[in-house]
Amino acid sequence: MGRLIEITLGIMTAVGGFVDISELVFAAQSGSRFGFALIWAFAFATIGIIVFGEMSGRVAAIAKQPVFNLMRQRLGLDLGLLTLLPAVAVNIITCAAEVGGMALVLQLLTGWPYKLLAILSTACLAAIVWALPFKWIERVFGLLGLLMLTFVAVAAAIHVPWREAAAGLIPQIPRGLSTQEIPSFAYFVVAIMSAVLFPYEVYFYSSGAIEEHWSAKDLMMNRLTTIVGFSLGSLLAISLLINAAVLFRPLHIDPQLPGTAALQAAIPFGETGLLLALFGMLFAISGAAIETCLSSAYSVSQFLGWEWGRYKRPHEAPRFTLAWLASFAVALAVVLTGIPPLELVEWAVVFSIIVLPLTYLPLLLIARDRKYMNEHVNGRLSNVLGWGFYTVLCAAAVAALPLYIVTSGGQL
Amino acid sequence: MKRDASIKLVSEVRDLQIVDSEGRNCGICDDIEFHGAPGTPLTVAALLVGPGAYRRRLPRWAFRLVAMIAGERVARIPWKAVDKITARIFLSGPAEELGLLRTEDRLARAFRKIPTS
Repeated sequence: MGRLIEITLGIMTAVGGFVDISELVFAAQSGSRFGFALIWAFAFATIGIIVFGEMSGRVAAIAKQPVFNLMRQRLGLDLGLLTLLPAVAVNIITCAAEVGGMALVLQLLTGWPYKLLAILSTACLAAIVWALPFKWIERVFGLLGLLMLTFVAVAAAIHVPWREAAAGLIPQIPRGLSTQEIPSFAYFVVAIMSAVLFPYEVYFYSSGAIEEHWSAKDLMMNRLTTIVGFSLGSLLAISLLINAAVLFRPLHIDPQLPGTAALQAAIPFGETGLLLALFGMLFAISGAAIETCLSSAYSVSQFLGWEWGRYKRPHEAPRFTLAWLASFAVALAVVLTGIPPLELVEWAVVFSIIVLPLTYLPLLLIARDRKYMNEHVNGRLSNVLGWGFYTVLCAAAVAALPLYIVTSGGQL
Repeated sequence: MKRDASIKLVSEVRDLQIVDSEGRNCGICDDIEFHGAPGTPLTVAALLVGPGAYRRRLPRWAFRLVAMIAGERVARIPWKAVDKITARIFLSGPAEELGLLRTEDRLARAFRKIPTS
């Protein structure tokens, strides 16, 4: 029974922790601009994160190797550094976007100044990570992030043309797009893939598996958590898209700010719905801020071979602690420069997809290596899916920056 | 030791995690020091740990940049202090005896002074 509760909690935490500010922004904007036509991009990217998440958990359980240890061994010092530095930069930009997002949501709730709220949010998160046992933090933020289910309830309450929505699962380019809009549509496809496959999620997940001493007996839990947890989490993001397509698109509302997405809940459920949605967003974004910040610390610590671990007290892994404190400080400094959170989200998605191929290559190589994985080596399906997604990611990485420039970040 | 074996050693041992006898992570094997001369057998003398050991592995400009940020300190772990090598390198003694984890210890002392650490 204890095992069942553990698995259920793990899945619920994965659901609650799936959506972050980039998914909020891009899901709502996708629905508002392109109707249901980008649902397939979320579904496709979700299969990708399931494949790589499962693989990283399995490698952690069997080879006992975290991602950046693998990267150092497989890519060497020079190419490894070339991956580490942009990966940390992307994590910090993402963390800054999450902190900015928290401040925006809190501003809607309190009316206080944005920069003050960013400082208070960062201080609060740092104090929480410093003082509380990590299991608590993970469960509290993951489970309270389930308030985001409000958006699923919204989709059930409004009149969604489900047949049309289901047609969005088929990969497509919507008819009637102008030649200017087609690159924007392509940019959104790349951005959604990047937002769902953010590298920090894999660093965080596999590092956690090592700290919890996963072994072969945990492989089923790994599979269930990634398949069920990530799929249900993706449903949240797709609900945001569907709601935006039904509620915002006819009114030509472009949800540029995360707060606009919360209005979806106000339409059917009034003030209570709005508050539930805002609190759900706040906890989901806060959880992601903690994950991105810790992921930076994991990356650096594992690459340099330092003592690391979120379950350790700060003085037991001091350089790791210093690394996450520094990440929070730099992220806050970025927010205080006044760069709008939406711009930070766009930088994060563009640069993370450029880093993704280097992040996933060592993982794919180890997962198919019988010397490390014994009988738990990749099967044919994992290999085909893994390398297939890897090829798509490489193409997306090449296209990301030109599309960002040509479309002014999808604005054209 | 055969010539091929030494080449294998460099590729397989370099960049591995180093763990001391108390199970603590204490760095990565950044380089390997060999002793020998023409006509004499090549022997492994030590594992090198720390940013100073990047000198031979990075382009000069990149090494200068790393040195500016992290310094040029190198800790030398005598080969005889290596207990076993798997996917990690296990040492036979505690890190402090080999000059490792000094920064870690200083920071740990500072953090212990902060409540709830």
